[in-house]
Amino acid sequence: MERPRAVSESVASTIESARASASDRSTPAIQLVRLRKTFGAGDGTVVAVDDVDLEIDQGEFFSLLGPSGSGKTTVLRMIAGFELPTGGAVLLDGVDVTQRAPFDRDVNTVFQDYALFPHMTVQRNVEYGLKVKGVGKAERRKRAGEMLDAVRLSGFGNRRPTEMSGGQRQRVALARALVNQPRVLLLDEPLGALDLKLREEMQGELKAIQHDVGITFVFVTHDQGEALSMSSRVAVFNNGRIEQVGSPRDIYERPTTSFVASFVGTSNVLSAALSERLLGVAAPHTLRPERIRVVDATHVLDDHDVAIDGVVDDVHYLGAESRVRARLDDGSVLIAAVPSDGLAALIAGQPVRLAWPRRAASAVIESVVQPEQQGENQ
Amino acid sequence: MDVVTVGGGGAPARVSRFFRRHRKASLFATLGGPVAWMLLVYIGSLVVLVAAAFFKIDSNSKVTTDFTTANVKAAFTTGSFVDAIVRSVLIALAVTAVCFAIALPMAFYIAKVAKPRWRRSLIVAVLLPLWAGYLVKGYAWKSIFTPDAGKFAAHKGGGFLEATLGWTPGFGKLAIVITLAYLWLPYMVLPIYAGLERLPPSYLDAAGDLGARPFRTFRSVIMPILVPSIAAGSIFTFSLSLGDYITPRIISGGKEQMIGNLIDQLQQQNQALSAALTLWPIAIIIVYLLGMSRLHAFESV
Amino acid sequence: MSKSNRHARIAGAIGASLALLLVACSSDSKGAATSTTAAPAASSDIPVASSDIPVGSSDIPVGSSDIPLSSSDIPVGSSDIPVGSSDIPLGSSDIPATDALTTLGKGEGELNIIAWAGYAEDGSDDPSVDWVTPFEKDTGCKVNVKIGNTSDEMVQLMQTGEYDGVSASGDATTRLIDGGEVSPVNTDLIPNYADVFSQLKLQPWNSKDGVPYGVPHGRGANLLVYNTEAFPTAPDSLAVMFDKTAAGDAAGKLSVYDSPIYIADAAIYLMSTQPDLKITNPYALDQKQFDAAIALLKEQKALTTQYWSLYTDQQTALDSGTVLAGTTWQVIVGLAQTDGAKIAAVKTKEGATGWSDTWMISSKAKHPNCMYMWMNHIISPEANAAVAQWFGEAPSNSKSCALAAAGFCDDYHAADDKYWNDVWYWTTATAKCLDGRTDVKCVPYSEWVNAWTELRA
Repeated sequence: MERPRAVSESVASTIESARASASDRSTPAIQLVRLRKTFGAGDGTVVAVDDVDLEIDQGEFFSLLGPSGSGKTTVLRMIAGFELPTGGAVLLDGVDVTQRAPFDRDVNTVFQDYALFPHMTVQRNVEYGLKVKGVGKAERRKRAGEMLDAVRLSGFGNRRPTEMSGGQRQRVALARALVNQPRVLLLDEPLGALDLKLREEMQGELKAIQHDVGITFVFVTHDQGEALSMSSRVAVFNNGRIEQVGSPRDIYERPTTSFVASFVGTSNVLSAALSERLLGVAAPHTLRPERIRVVDATHVLDDHDVAIDGVVDDVHYLGAESRVRARLDDGSVLIAAVPSDGLAALIAGQPVRLAWPRRAASAVIESVVQPEQQGENQ
Repeated sequence: MDVVTVGGGGAPARVSRFFRRHRKASLFATLGGPVAWMLLVYIGSLVVLVAAAFFKIDSNSKVTTDFTTANVKAAFTTGSFVDAIVRSVLIALAVTAVCFAIALPMAFYIAKVAKPRWRRSLIVAVLLPLWAGYLVKGYAWKSIFTPDAGKFAAHKGGGFLEATLGWTPGFGKLAIVITLAYLWLPYMVLPIYAGLERLPPSYLDAAGDLGARPFRTFRSVIMPILVPSIAAGSIFTFSLSLGDYITPRIISGGKEQMIGNLIDQLQQQNQALSAALTLWPIAIIIVYLLGMSRLHAFESV
Repeated sequence: MSKSNRHARIAGAIGASLALLLVACSSDSKGAATSTTAAPAASSDIPVASSDIPVGSSDIPVGSSDIPLSSSDIPVGSSDIPVGSSDIPLGSSDIPATDALTTLGKGEGELNIIAWAGYAEDGSDDPSVDWVTPFEKDTGCKVNVKIGNTSDEMVQLMQTGEYDGVSASGDATTRLIDGGEVSPVNTDLIPNYADVFSQLKLQPWNSKDGVPYGVPHGRGANLLVYNTEAFPTAPDSLAVMFDKTAAGDAAGKLSVYDSPIYIADAAIYLMSTQPDLKITNPYALDQKQFDAAIALLKEQKALTTQYWSLYTDQQTALDSGTVLAGTTWQVIVGLAQTDGAKIAAVKTKEGATGWSDTWMISSKAKHPNCMYMWMNHIISPEANAAVAQWFGEAPSNSKSCALAAAGFCDDYHAADDKYWNDVWYWTTATAKCLDGRTDVKCVPYSEWVNAWTELRA
């Protein structure tokens, strides 16, 4: 797609004004201006990142959330400098670094596969960045040691990465990046390879570390739970674009698009037609499963309640709560999260009535592309 | 499943039942043949070769069964033999160095720079010369190296190098090194290419991310990780060069003798001494292989 | 490193070194391939000779139909041939005793022989060159030919006992006789023996203590080849090969035959330049004489550009002018001249080494009757003339010349006894001096081999 000249001029002027305020403490740590990346050429061109604008503030724990192929990792790689944008600009602390090589940017990265150098000991891995910058041996050793302490790996310095567990390697990768005291730390799905328990443990640790060092973390993940629990703000990516930027609470409770609604927390999306029938507004609405109650037909509704009849498809037992799938008369499906206590009677094929407070449903913009086959959780 | 086979008759069923119950017999039946063949042919021929070095030959050049250490002593103490060994090792090392210097950028280009759809064609191109005859390539290089024979030359101007560059290494050691390097280059390119293929791209990103410029990345990350691959390639180039005797004969007209030439010549005239001389390359190659195995060459072939 | 891991590595190391060995030691495969490709290079035309050297002229038709190749005149398989004369003295004490055949029986139907390339042609190289097929037809002996590339290889092959006979050169015959690989020959059973030049009979390289060990086949001299532009005046001395001044423009561009037997060439040169060494036979060198020859050859290295063992290598070098002088065979001279090389060749005034080949019968021959029939056939005037013209050497049968092309025998000095007087046929050196000296020990051939290898390394 050809972009008009005016756009690139506006990119230039944005950069200009950003530079002017570079010394300002309030300068965003990262600014992405009309950032664009395409792969391939001709008919086979794939737009990986489609004119993304984003500001990430100093000291934020910022997550880029989205399914695979949504462009979040490509954005991260353009911030790090591993990929050159096709268009737009990347500013770090107000300075345009779009054309700079990775070694010229004051950011460090924790890679998905950790990318620890197998031929070096843990100690030498952590020292690598300092050594490249010409830091003296004693200083190097001291700082690397402190950093290994900080990630609770003191005493592991002489091991090889291959001799360590996944969680330990993850912490080495973290230490190797942080020892350079970057302005921004980029994390590319760093917890993806860990099992559930370890992942939860590391989520807490990462947050604590970020709190301690106080630098900006940019965290790429496809796990909405992870993004919501750790971040100060989240950008939800879909199909190369940002669907919504906001605090975890905003994203979860007030999704602005149908994609965000269904991707983050598995919301029900009521079609425009159904919304008109039930709510009198001809726009898609989202509805959290936990807001829906399963009631019997004799139940008396409040004025501000909305209800609809359906048939139970199946009941998914999750411990304290269960998820009830109900098929409506128009063929669509609603999922209700209800306490497991009163469920004994519910079986597949049984008619039920579903009810929820009118204001629990919120209007959203219909996304062009919906996430395919949303799971309960990642 | 067992019920079915127990009831079933027929030799195949019985055989299969036997091997299921006797795991060791099954292992022996599958591996016994190849292992015996290995022992007999490889180890056996080596033993015979080493033993042959200690046989006396009579005045008619006939091998007898009398024991003597004279051959081995001659092989290891005669000045000109030692010279030939030193020459062979130096040539083999030089060939290995030349192959390495050419193969590294070549493999790097194919694995990391060239477009993926070109890679297969480029690898085929690297392997292509292996399909041509060894002698053909040897004589072709000889004609390329041919110096201007001077005022009595049948054809003025000499070979390709002399005609185009006005310079040629002639028919000496340098020409042998170039020819051998050409012959064995694919054996160095392939393992290095495979090593680079296996190298996760994130390592290069990580090095750059930590502040290393491309050369630094190459020196401190790529090269150390490639060491096993290079060692594996060098085993081919070194051992193939060390044992070669056709190329020196073709190129130098028999003037530059490598250890293989001596062994070749003597194996008809004095088999025992010939066998004794082979102890040199055996020893050198074993030392070389042990050295390379310390560099993890065998985990990477 | 775990123990099993280390074992695996060591096993791997040994395996790989063995693989190398197979490469290093299977020298035959490549060598043989080279030779077989080279052999057909001998074209069917006896090469053109330049006017100033005695070589066959271009108009000699080789293997042409006018040479009758039938061997009908050989008495075959007749059981009534009289018993061999009893007065032939058989093997002296130091030779493993094997008896000569006394009567010729029926052919065994098969014959396995080792031959120089070009000595046993069955028409597969050139349909008009065939003296094996008529033999097979007449005798019923199916001939299997194994080409021997060097004398040393022939000796080795004969030591296996798998062959009935061999066309051995003089540097192999002594080893074969003394090693008991071959039997004396009852020449009464070989009618054509009578016509062999007497100068070739009962010589040191084909007999022992007056007992013949084979039938002479053909002979030639190793010549000095030179570039006619580098040597406007034809040289006539071996000094070209050993003396920097005499070599002139050819210094550094000499081509030397790559075999231990070449030490004899140096000895011949020393016979005339250092008479105080008292060398009387180049194959009978005591240690002092031998050392002098080796020293001379070491100096020669600086003058040499090529050590040839494959005759096409020398031919190519002569063609291109990278070699300006060297030791050569008549056949190479002819081939290079056909290529247009400006060369000529002479037998040097100091004398020359040469070869006289002998067909010998194995002491373990499984088909002795067929081998006797072959020995009779191969020296028959017809076959002998054909071989000599095809290979480029002087025939051994005096009647061959009548069947050969006009002038062939003159050019090759077949009947010129004087020409051969100073030709020292290749002979295997033995510790017992061949020149009859008993006060010293001579250097045996096995040490020639070692010295040559050392010199070349």
